[in-house]
Formats: sequence, C-alpha cells, structure tokens
Amino acid sequence: MKQNYDFKIDKINDLSPEEVSLRKKNLDLFYQTGFPNKKNEDWKFSDLNSILNNNFNKIVNNDFLPIETEFKIIDEFKHNFISLLNGKLISNDFSFEEKNKISIDNFTYKNELSLGSKNSLYFLNNALATGGFSLEISKNYKLKKPLVIYNNFSNSLKETLINYKNSIILNENSELNLINYINNSSKENFMVNTIENIKIKKDSLLKNILVNNSKCNGYFYKYIKSDLEKNSTFENYLLPSGFKFNKLDIEINLNEENSNSSVFSALNLINNEHQEIKTRINHNAPNCNSFQKVKNVLNDESKGVYQGKIFVKNIAQKTDAYQLSKALILNDAAEFDAKPELEIYADDVKCSHGSTSGSIDLNSIHYLKSRGIPEKEAYQMLINGFLSETLEKLSEGKIRYFLTEKLERQINGH
Amino acid sequence: MLNIKNLEAIIDNKHILKGLNLDIKPGEVHAIMGPNGSGKSTLANVLSGKNGYEIKGDIKYNGESLSELSTEERAQKGIFLAFQYPLEIPGVNTNTFLRTSVNSVRKAQGEKELDTLTFLKLIKEKASELGIDEKFLSRQLNVGFSGGEKKKNEILQMKLLQPKLSILDETDSGLDIDALRIVADGVNSYKNKENAFLIITHYQRLLDYIKPDYVHVLSNGKIIKTGNADLGVQLEKTGYSNIV
Repeated sequence: MKQNYDFKIDKINDLSPEEVSLRKKNLDLFYQTGFPNKKNEDWKFSDLNSILNNNFNKIVNNDFLPIETEFKIIDEFKHNFISLLNGKLISNDFSFEEKNKISIDNFTYKNELSLGSKNSLYFLNNALATGGFSLEISKNYKLKKPLVIYNNFSNSLKETLINYKNSIILNENSELNLINYINNSSKENFMVNTIENIKIKKDSLLKNILVNNSKCNGYFYKYIKSDLEKNSTFENYLLPSGFKFNKLDIEINLNEENSNSSVFSALNLINNEHQEIKTRINHNAPNCNSFQKVKNVLNDESKGVYQGKIFVKNIAQKTDAYQLSKALILNDAAEFDAKPELEIYADDVKCSHGSTSGSIDLNSIHYLKSRGIPEKEAYQMLINGFLSETLEKLSEGKIRYFLTEKLERQINGH
Repeated sequence: MLNIKNLEAIIDNKHILKGLNLDIKPGEVHAIMGPNGSGKSTLANVLSGKNGYEIKGDIKYNGESLSELSTEERAQKGIFLAFQYPLEIPGVNTNTFLRTSVNSVRKAQGEKELDTLTFLKLIKEKASELGIDEKFLSRQLNVGFSGGEKKKNEILQMKLLQPKLSILDETDSGLDIDALRIVADGVNSYKNKENAFLIITHYQRLLDYIKPDYVHVLSNGKIIKTGNADLGVQLEKTGYSNIV
C-alpha cells in the first residue's frame, strides 16, 4: 500500500510535552492501519484509502492562524452566527440573544487517547486536531433566532488535511436551530476530518441542519456523537451535495425515556462524487422514537452509500424505529449501496426499514414535456420533487424555503 | 391544421395503427370513437410524441412534419393532449408546474414570461371558471386528486396554455355528470375559429355536451366510417358491433 501522507505533530503550536506524547500515541495508532479501507466493515462501500490514493499526491497537516476573512452573510433570514476558517473559530455574533445564556469558545483539547472508536480517522483527529469550538446553551433558554455556523475554508489548501473537534451542549429545556453552512469553491483537493460531540439534556430540542453552498474539491469526514436525555429531540436535515467525497457518520444515543431523533438526507450526486451517510441509532431506553429518511439521486459515475443501523437494547421496550432509503439511479455507471441493519434485544418494539432504488419514471417525464417543459427541466423538476420531500417536516418556514432553494441549486448544478 | 396520411404505429411488435387518414381544419371539432383496443389512445400518444412507437406514414401539423418535433416542441407549437390518466407527480407543486409550463411555452413562442403575481392572478381566474378550489393549486401535482379533479386539472392546463389543437383522450372517463358538464363548458368556452379539437371517446355521452362536426369510427387501426354528430348517436344505440 502506497503511503502518500506525511503528518507532523510538531507543526502544531503551543502543545505541552504531555499533549505531544499523547498525540504521538494517537498518531502511532493511526499509522498502524492508515486510512480506512474496504476491509473495514464500516468502510466496505467507501474505500477512503484508495480514494485518497487516487486523488492526492500527498497529504500533509498544518496548524492554521485564525485570520479574519470576508464571507457572504446569508440574507434570507435573520440569524446569529459563528464563523470558522479552516476549522478555527474566528468570530461570533449573538446579537439576537441574551448574552449570558450562551457560551462560545475555542475547543479545549483534553488529553484523550480515544473514545473507544476503532476508526483510524478518530486517532488521526486526536493526534492532529487544532481549532474547533465549544458551544453551550444555558438551562431554560430557547434561542430566538437560528445559529448559522459559517464553515469557511481557504482556497489554497492544496493536499492539506484539517482536523478539529466541536462540542455542543444544550442544557435542560433549551432549544437551538443550528445551520452548518459550508461555503467553499476550491478547485484544490483538501480533506477535513471533524469530530463533533453533542449533548442534548432533558426537555431540549436541537435541529441540526447541514447545507453545502457550492461545489468544491473537498474530501469530508464528520463523526457526530450525540447523547440524548429524557424528553429531548434531535432532528437532522442534511443537504451535503457538491463535495468530491463526504461521509457523515452519525451516532445517536437515545439514553433516556421519550427521546426522539430523526435524520433526513437529500443528495444529488454527479460526475464521480462519492457520499456516504452512516447512522447508528442506539435505543438505550424505553419509549424512544427514531426516524430516518435518506434520499439519493445518482448521475454519471457517482456513488452513494447508506449504512443505517438501529440497535435496540433489551430494556428499550416500546421503541418505535423506522428507516427508509430511496435512490434514483439515472445512469448505468452510477452505483448505490444500502445496508440496513436492525439489532433488537427487546420484544415489544416497532422497527421497520425499507430500501428502494430505481430509475426515473419516463411517463412522468413525458407528461411534463407534453406541457412544453424542456426535457432537462422536466428531469430537474422530478429530481427536485423527489429530494425536497425530505424537508417537509422542518417547521421553520423561512429556513425551509432557504434550504429548498439551495437544494434546487444543488440539483441544477450550483 | 393537422393532416395524417397513412399512419402506422407499431409497439412491442404489435401493429396498432394500420394506415390512418385524418384531416383537421381550424375551428373544427372531430370525435374519434371506437371499441377498446382499436388504437384510440395510441393515436393520442403518437400525436403527443411519446417514445417507444415505430411510426410509418406522415403527420403534418401546420405544414410541418411532426416526426421531427420533440414532445416539448409540439406542446410549444400548440398541440395539447389531455391525458386519459393524468400522472401523479409527488414533490412537484401544482402551481410551480403550471407556471413552468406556461412560461416554457411563452418563452418558446417568443413572448415574455409571466411573473409570479401576474401568473397567480391568471390562474385564480381560470381555476374559478372550472370550479377548482385554490387549495388544489398548492398541492402536489395530481397526488391524491380524485378522477374528476385530475380531469379538471387537465382542462385548466389547456386553458392556460391556449393550444391550437387540443386532443382530449377519454376525458369523460371517471367523471360524474356535474364534472362532465364543467369540463364540457370549459372546452366549449375555449372553442373558436382558430383552434381545433380531437376528442377521443368510447361513449357518446361527452358528445352530448361538446358537439362534434365530424365523428370517425376507428376500428383495428383504421378509420372505417366518418359521419356527422348523428353517427355518434347511432353508435350509442346500436353499439360498435353492427359497424365494425
């Protein structure tokens, strides 16, 4: 196996000797296996090692200076924001909120070796991460406006790997609408490896939206670990179209009664883009609900993957878990792989899954064309109709409208 | 307006149309009647440009050969087919669809596209003429519509697109008597000297409301008899078996 990467811990500024030593241990653990490949069951359909080998001459890490950068603010709806450049926290603005209810700071790196993950990207992140943020919402506080996280990246990140960690904590009875907005149109290949830890305490609600604004040559991996307490809700709306490669690895732990989670994803893949949504929903307590709807449209030689696992612990009676994957395959050279998994140890549960893939309905295309609509537009309308359904459950009208327009742009080629 | 000469259509090795001739002039209403399997819907599909048919013979529309036009070009040039089974299209908003359709046709005809407000005004007016509840317009296209609602939606599209040649394929099927009257009124109010209709139907019923100038009997892929409106009435009494 060709090793085309060269990672150096001494590139990272201001580390104590203990940190250096722990990071070195993590780097060694990474080097034992290298980037994940298809021999690893979790990466069976997304052989990251060969994808990187085929698209990068070398990969290096770097520590970035937090530099103020100009970026376009979303003007479709009023919002608070945090801005990041290459993973470093640059600025924040919570002018719609009570200041003492929100805490935002740089992520503090604790000296951790591993959180029990077998994934080598986790070790790599432990070894090399810099930047990222910690966000905490106070008890009984519901943000008046959504929070947009502007994820900006320099256009000069050629063959560079960025690693960072975020932490988001919603204390009891709090609410946050979070929009991860990725904005980069770099032609250079770069990679981003993010680990995000989310804690949703009792009676709280987090809506987590991810939307990519432009096409770029980025290779993204994000691992989200979330823990939910009693009566809490975690909704995800994912619109990541436009990356060269992306894998969203989402772990949701429904740890206490009456907690709810949902994952809605809409992807339109073109050229040789490759994206994977991987979820693991752990029903660890009774009376919890989880819902997943993953929709993919595959053009050209693109590849889409959905691996969705639902785990129901023996005490998690009255679990209601559902997952559905639907794919439209528009070209013979495109590929979609779905691997649903149910692992159930309780006997009084409702768990179901479904997976369909097929081609676009030519009779519908004919119908639209017979009304004077050109063929290309007819296809776009049907694709848009297929994907936009994933946004129906989002109750915030302005955000939904904004996302619908972004999705339309993603479908019509950015 | 439409001149069909010796039209043959073959699909999946089945010879459906076997030498059909038909001439339609502006201002005329033609009805094609015939038993099941005689090729009525195939004729509608072929005229709309549906893929999958092997075509022989010649179809001229205002002097232009239809075979060279794509489905969308035919629509843009004024050919409209009201579908026997209008398709349900999930996720596509009826309003958005109608506006895209009207503006695609306007654009192709070199006219200015309608802005949202002008369009909304237009559609409200046309929808109320057909007794279509505005709520339908914000629903997904034909999804969960009753048979009658779907057919009314087809006529609404016809009135918005203002075609020169309207082909109504079994538009009366699935309609109750009130819906039938509304649909027929919609057609009659649009009828003028410039445009023409080709009404494909199994039953005389619709022709009680929309008076045809010519009635043709289609059997086994050919028109075997042509007459005036009385022919339809006669068919209703005697059935097809006495003729075909």
